[in-house]
Amino acid sequence: MKLIESLNIKEKAYIEKLENGMTVIIIPKNTTNKKYIIWGVNFGSIDNHFKINGEEIYIPDGVAHFLEHKMFEQENGTNSLDKLMALGIDANAYTTNDHTAYLFECTEHFYEGLDELMDYVQNPYFTDDNVEKEKGIISQEIRMYDDEPGWQLYMSVLDCLYKENPIKIDIAGTVDSIRKINKDTLYKCYNTFYVPNNMTLVVCGNFQPQEILKQVKDRLIKNTIEDKIERIYPEIEQKINKKNIEKEMNVSMPLFAIGFKDIEGMNDEIVKKHIAIEILLNILVGKSSNLYKELYDAGTILEEPDMDYEFSKQYAHVVISGQSEKPEDIYNKLKKQIEEYIKNGLDSKHFERIKKKVYGDYVVEYNNISDISRMFLSDSMKNISSFDYIEQYNQVSKDYTQKILKEIFNTDSMVMAIIKPKK
Amino acid sequence: MNYIKQEIKKGINFHKVNTNRFKTNLFAIFLTTPLKKESVTENALLPLVLKRGSAIMQTQELICKKLEDMYGASFDCGIDKSGNNHVIKFYLETLNNNMIPTNENIVEEAFKLLFDIIFNPLIINEGFKEQYIDGEKNKLKQIINSKIDNKAKYAMDRCIEEMYKGKPYELCKYGYIEDLNKINGDSLYEYYKQLINECKIDIFISGDAEDNIIDIIKNNEQIKNLNERDAKYTINGDNEEKDEVEIKLVEEAMDVMQGKLVLGLDVVDVEENEKYAVSVYNIILGGSANSKLFQNVREKASLAYTAGSSYLRQKNNIIIKCGIEIENYEKAIEIIKEQLKEMEDGKFTDEDIENAKNIIISTVDGIPDSQDSEISYYLGQELTRQFVSLHEYIEKIKNVKKEDVELISKKIKINTIYFLKNDK
Repeated sequence: MKLIESLNIKEKAYIEKLENGMTVIIIPKNTTNKKYIIWGVNFGSIDNHFKINGEEIYIPDGVAHFLEHKMFEQENGTNSLDKLMALGIDANAYTTNDHTAYLFECTEHFYEGLDELMDYVQNPYFTDDNVEKEKGIISQEIRMYDDEPGWQLYMSVLDCLYKENPIKIDIAGTVDSIRKINKDTLYKCYNTFYVPNNMTLVVCGNFQPQEILKQVKDRLIKNTIEDKIERIYPEIEQKINKKNIEKEMNVSMPLFAIGFKDIEGMNDEIVKKHIAIEILLNILVGKSSNLYKELYDAGTILEEPDMDYEFSKQYAHVVISGQSEKPEDIYNKLKKQIEEYIKNGLDSKHFERIKKKVYGDYVVEYNNISDISRMFLSDSMKNISSFDYIEQYNQVSKDYTQKILKEIFNTDSMVMAIIKPKK
Repeated sequence: MNYIKQEIKKGINFHKVNTNRFKTNLFAIFLTTPLKKESVTENALLPLVLKRGSAIMQTQELICKKLEDMYGASFDCGIDKSGNNHVIKFYLETLNNNMIPTNENIVEEAFKLLFDIIFNPLIINEGFKEQYIDGEKNKLKQIINSKIDNKAKYAMDRCIEEMYKGKPYELCKYGYIEDLNKINGDSLYEYYKQLINECKIDIFISGDAEDNIIDIIKNNEQIKNLNERDAKYTINGDNEEKDEVEIKLVEEAMDVMQGKLVLGLDVVDVEENEKYAVSVYNIILGGSANSKLFQNVREKASLAYTAGSSYLRQKNNIIIKCGIEIENYEKAIEIIKEQLKEMEDGKFTDEDIENAKNIIISTVDGIPDSQDSEISYYLGQELTRQFVSLHEYIEKIKNVKKEDVELISKKIKINTIYFLKNDK
């Protein structure tokens, strides 16, 4: 097992690549009551086009998420979610753009939970009936998101940034697309993606690393590395799709999302770049920024906007979102502020202060075992070691951050989506 | 136990939760006062105005810069209903000294900042700064108006409002626009002085701070200035009589894709000690994936994605929530009523009871893994008559028997059925 350590925050992690290609990450936490486990499959909503044995396959939108729903059902008529809950184990699953995850947390009965988790993820059971029945439930899940202004806003800003990219697809699909899903689609995708070399398992809690590793290995069924999956994605677009999108919903005040596309996306310096972007977002429009003060005093903005950098090999973008009566004002002033910083450079004192803040934000992530586990899983899907955010933070200089400002915050292709109140 | 409580002055208590599980210290101050229409809006506005600036740090920009310098300490405030109390909450989270690259000790500094914001506000000519008042009134107005944005939450709040018509608990914790319009810098300052003199004050720290922290607090200038008080607040859990009511049906229309169905249930005539059995009842009815509601509304009938219930312990209500197709209203109600009937007929097993207990125990066991949850738990105990430790809580859950839950199931009455549907 490989040991990685962060002396700054006094945490360590053990990483093992098993013979069958699966990655296991163990983060010991000796002081918590809870134990957390999450098993991720590198299969998300963007993986809708791929090749198996040379045959090219397109699948309906929403299959990864549909699979996630159906994995709990067992051939003997039981449901693993129910069984885990009955043990007092809080179990769940979720699907993102690039992965699907099955998880549970508990204080007692961990190994019984592990039996169940590793059993159901490795033994799918789909029938025409149970697939059909799920369509009603997932349709209601989609409807729920239809009523969520924040989600509609996010989908709109992605629509501004990308023309063809599969990140635009709603993770759950649409009520129409899921109708086309049947048990064969599910088995085909399961057999393609749910293979050890496409999976990562993370545990966090009071564990002996060797012992938990052995327990996981003993429960694995497949012992060989399967063929590499050939995923097909559209070419990365250099240009944005639309500068503006406006929609109407029943909301009290307009919601806005301003987006910037990072054309280069993931590179060797991705962690450094990510840290620099977080510093920049705070400098530009964070609570202590001049722009925030100006907007707040004018009543244009009522709280700090949400700021996020999202990236993978297929997409990378920055989104700043919030609520305001005057989104255009925010757009114009932000644009002006970026141009000024590009021209005049960043203020050193401001930069150093924000750097401290961003460091604190990273440390706080280590307060909660579920945050830690999810972070290690999602970073590991991108081949990133989570500790790098703590360890590389000191290497992010003002000059480097200024360089990133010029590269990413391109005001010519800055987009905005708005959800307006219905008249 | 890792929890210590000490009286600083009459009506003002210090609570310390010793823990080494976190990278942070969490400081929290709660001002508790009875929930009343006359003061609910002022209570909601106060923390917003206070965070704009203290006598020492007069702008939120200065406060924010100070927080950033303390390695991203984060300050937050809010307002909540706890039974018939209104609680104004202030939080400050800082890195532990040993997580700070320079090993500075910032505990004292953090308390000082927090005390200044709350107890030493910026006052100009016997009033709060009008510019801050105007800005924050505008913000609170928006918060009040935005309750329609989250439809599921809106539906639940509306159901509770209907259940408690004419009683304090119907009140919206953010207050009311008509009352907001009457507030100015002077009137709010008058109210503030009265509140600070009369409210119950609880000061919490969770983390690895040294034991002498209590002396630091006692010697703080702002704390010294506070007077003793017979703190006015309502003790939660004292039996509130529930009138037998006809089921109230409320429908409202809005532009929604999905109908939001909420049923508010009364648990009539229960003693404090029976509430553990109500918790178990609730888990079996709708508190987990193997619950009757989840299994029957979602898994068997495929009517919903969300289907479940939650127990409002302080008010003795169970709230059932489902998101459904509008045309499935009747069908969903029918299935929900069947589940209540099954519970009433005792159609649940010892295994159901054991499973439900496991879920509750696991949740309670996990409380010390979140600083905020642990503080909230102890605040909750502080506002009830009887202190129950986490360990005792678990024991009481373990002692619940099937007949206790059967008894509870006869005491459940539907009070209100609320449905948010489409306006087309």
